[in-house]
Amino acid sequence: MGGTTGTHLDGGQRLQVLDALVTVLSGLYAHLPAKRAAYATDPVQALVLLRRRAADLTDAEFHLAVTGIVLGLRDAHTRYRGPAVLRGHVAVLPFVVEAYGPWADPTFVVTKVDPDAGADGLPDGFEEGVEVVTWNAVPVARAVEVHADRETGGRADARRARALESLTSRPLDFAPPPDELWVDLGYRPRRTGRRGGSTEVREARFDWRVLAPGRAGTAVSARTREALKLAVDPAADAVRRAKRDRYAARRAWLDTSLPDVLAARPLDDRYGYLRLWSFDVADDDAYLDEVTRLLGLLPPCGVVVDLRANPGGLVWAAERLLQLFADPGRTGGPVQPVRFELAATPLTRQMALSPFNRLELEAWSASLQDSVTTGDPYSRPLPLTDPAWCGDRGRAYPGPAVAVVDATTYSSGDLFAAGWVDNRVGPLVTVGQASGGGGANVWTDTQVRDALVGTGVTLPDLPAGIGFTVAVRRAVRSGASDGVPLEDLGVAGIPYDLTRADLLDGNRDLLTFCTGLLDAAGTPPEILPADRGGTS
Amino acid sequence: MWGIRGRVVPLAADTAPVRAGSSGAFVGTVWIDGDGTVAAVTRGRRARPAGAHDAQVVDVGSSLVVPGLVDLHNHLAYDTLPLWTEPAQKVPFAHHDSWPRAATYAASTTWPAYAFITAAPQELLAYVETKALVGGTTTIQGSPPMNRPRDGWLVRNVDDESFGTGNRDMVYASVLTATPAALATRANAMRSGSLFVYHCGEGQRGSLVAREYADATAAGCLQSRFVAVHANAVDPVRYADWSHDPGAVAWSPFSNLWLYGQTTDVPALRAAGVTVCLGADWAPSGTKHVLGELKVARIVADHLGWHLTDEDLVRMVTANPGDVLARAWGRQVGRLQAGAVADVVVLHASSSRVDPFRTILRAVEDDVQLVVVDGVPRYATPALADETAMPTPTPVTVGSRAMRVSLTRPDDGTTPLSWDAVVARLEAVRADPRGAITAAQASGAQASGAVSGTASSEPGAEPFLLALDMPTGEGPVGGLPHDLGQVVVPPLQSLVHDADWLASVHGRGFHDGVLDGLGVYYD
Repeated sequence: MGGTTGTHLDGGQRLQVLDALVTVLSGLYAHLPAKRAAYATDPVQALVLLRRRAADLTDAEFHLAVTGIVLGLRDAHTRYRGPAVLRGHVAVLPFVVEAYGPWADPTFVVTKVDPDAGADGLPDGFEEGVEVVTWNAVPVARAVEVHADRETGGRADARRARALESLTSRPLDFAPPPDELWVDLGYRPRRTGRRGGSTEVREARFDWRVLAPGRAGTAVSARTREALKLAVDPAADAVRRAKRDRYAARRAWLDTSLPDVLAARPLDDRYGYLRLWSFDVADDDAYLDEVTRLLGLLPPCGVVVDLRANPGGLVWAAERLLQLFADPGRTGGPVQPVRFELAATPLTRQMALSPFNRLELEAWSASLQDSVTTGDPYSRPLPLTDPAWCGDRGRAYPGPAVAVVDATTYSSGDLFAAGWVDNRVGPLVTVGQASGGGGANVWTDTQVRDALVGTGVTLPDLPAGIGFTVAVRRAVRSGASDGVPLEDLGVAGIPYDLTRADLLDGNRDLLTFCTGLLDAAGTPPEILPADRGGTS
Repeated sequence: MWGIRGRVVPLAADTAPVRAGSSGAFVGTVWIDGDGTVAAVTRGRRARPAGAHDAQVVDVGSSLVVPGLVDLHNHLAYDTLPLWTEPAQKVPFAHHDSWPRAATYAASTTWPAYAFITAAPQELLAYVETKALVGGTTTIQGSPPMNRPRDGWLVRNVDDESFGTGNRDMVYASVLTATPAALATRANAMRSGSLFVYHCGEGQRGSLVAREYADATAAGCLQSRFVAVHANAVDPVRYADWSHDPGAVAWSPFSNLWLYGQTTDVPALRAAGVTVCLGADWAPSGTKHVLGELKVARIVADHLGWHLTDEDLVRMVTANPGDVLARAWGRQVGRLQAGAVADVVVLHASSSRVDPFRTILRAVEDDVQLVVVDGVPRYATPALADETAMPTPTPVTVGSRAMRVSLTRPDDGTTPLSWDAVVARLEAVRADPRGAITAAQASGAQASGAVSGTASSEPGAEPFLLALDMPTGEGPVGGLPHDLGQVVVPPLQSLVHDADWLASVHGRGFHDGVLDGLGVYYD
């Protein structure tokens, strides 16, 4: 596809881009101290240095340099969006690769194949279940490692998970198009896989295609108050939508009014399965209503709540959802939401004082002003979801519940996982080391620009549709993990390694593992079926 | 140039021609130059200044020609709302941090005001500034913070006025408590010529907020360009600390009695040389405008046995604030004299022999015949609107009278705006606050899209934004209810002190019946 952007920026326009990013990263970015510590980098100084040579670079070099600096934050919330040539598009290959097995020795398999892969069709024997061996003639494990170095994610497992995903899906809002025009894939046909004893490796060439996955009508709209309460990985959400459009569900799900973000089905006569694809909804009440309805259709003895690859969305939706599963007897009271804090900087102090931000930021203002004397690098932490809203409905599912996350469960997904653990809602199973570790409320450049009104600080106009997203309020956990940040750390639970059957047979082993946990949790006798000793 | 001929009450700084015991009023003409200033004030019916030989003169007979009234303390964003009380509050509030914690505060004030500033900011300004005009107000403090502050639109906004210079540092204002460091910064700004209007020591005498006055003292704020709003919590003895370079206090007796049951010690202020000015304060705890507040001042002064003449009180809405503002503006309002800003009010008087100050004090909305701001007729009877060639007039019913108001869109100052459209838009927001807020946010145009259909007439211009200036109250982080359907906007309050409003004073608030006396002025 090539790495060009097709839009030329002159030297002055490049300085506008860099100055805007310096203003935001130095004055507003919620994780700057942590990122400097964790990665021994100084993105602000890097941007300042880039400013000196920006006019000498080609367009591709410039965007790559900016992207590299921002990617170095390893923060999927904080992204640079290049020129708007391919805004809203995702470059895809006609298949999906996933990994199973232990972290040190993963096996990569094709788990989905696009039924509309093109007029030329797919190579003979290329189907779900084939094992991927090489990627452009590089052993696939190494190829993933190399690619992970260019990915967000604060932990190695998180970067690998993202790298694996972006091997076949690249959201073009946040990264240049793939350098390679095509991908040569080495694979073992399914019938002669390694575990079958064959070493036959075939090769096939796949071209990138560009899709424009739309957003659901139920998603959060820009410039609403809900849009200021987002915690989401926008790139991962674009990939999620691109996959959704291409790979039809093979399972029989219950009908739902929110198919973009929800799915549910019974596993058997005792247990149910709830899939939370995303929290990207404009109306969290409607979201809770629908989940409540679906839970009512599932068997009552236990439910597996699967948030793998959930890129986040509306914070209110994620945090309020917890109450539907929370047994007050276990949680010890209402669900406590995660809290958020602002970096204490001259800019955030100005923003909090601006009369135009009073409703949004006033609650943080006093502690931000006090930080001048206390030296505290952050404001006091406050919830974005009012605690009263986290208990305004109460429990909707009578049985025990287990939640499943992985390293691509991100942002509001992390918040949900944190709330699940910290409020002792139920067991948390983590595929990988922990959830993705996206701990912040994320704003767009437009929202930042709006919030600067009345501060005396303005952002330079950004040319060519260039933009950014930035982590504005850092999330810290409540309850037993009070004060622990989510960023990079994520939420750890009971570790689980995916199996081949999980990838190719509907999460068979994972669900068995989870229902085992539900068994161990015990089902209240009053909701057990009568033939299993229930009392009703 | 044009002139208004009638019985002029100039309140001019040059008092030499005024005989002792005289009101200083005379039959004469106020001549208004094309640049919005008073060219001259002449005595008698014939005198004309140079250059005015062909100038049109509007003769208002025995009516009083008075400096435009100045309201030195308001919060315009809330001025569509009714009087507020907290049902659970059985004793007067202690201070300004007490009532924002009341259970019904946010829902009664912040939420409905937010609905209007978000979904109909231009119509909101049109409504509340017209309300001020109806009471003869030509200059008002407390305009909502806005991202594109304007020089005079309908009423002169103290906070935003720059007289065409674009200098927005002439006047600073703060409703919320400022830190000592911020006060020190303001002290130096005042030394450089700025005015600082600061809510300072608002509460019951001796309550902890009196410390704000002490902080202001320590910071060096007690200067002639300092306007302390309320200062009723301050021990009157401390007013003497200001006597070396006295500034002003904005006195809002209605609001004080409504919330705290006591008010500022005006005689002590005057004894210290501090200038006392009146402010109507916001609608949830104030009068409709300073014409109403004048009556409250009379009632309260009489109730407390203070010796304050009607002229003393009239000066609190004219010359006193005019002189204070002149310290920052370098321009005079509140007095009718050559070179002053041509802000003029014409009030009905039954004959040329009535006591002018008593007449002004007793005037009600029906007595306001013409209001001129910056030399431009902005509010008038239909006849005077025609005679003065009011620009962009739109009919408005005020009480029982058909009047005219000169309305344009606040964001551009030129596009005509009809009163009916203003009211229709505000009513539409009232009918569906959630939908209106959501739509306004979604459009990214917190401007009066409903009037024009667009957020801005200029490509690339930012939307016109207003902000709230009062405490937001207790509530969830973010200030608003989760369900915006809980935002209820009460009916638009009338522009006048009508029977319903007077009835809402009786038996509510903490004035112990003192404010019930207002009714006699409106019978």
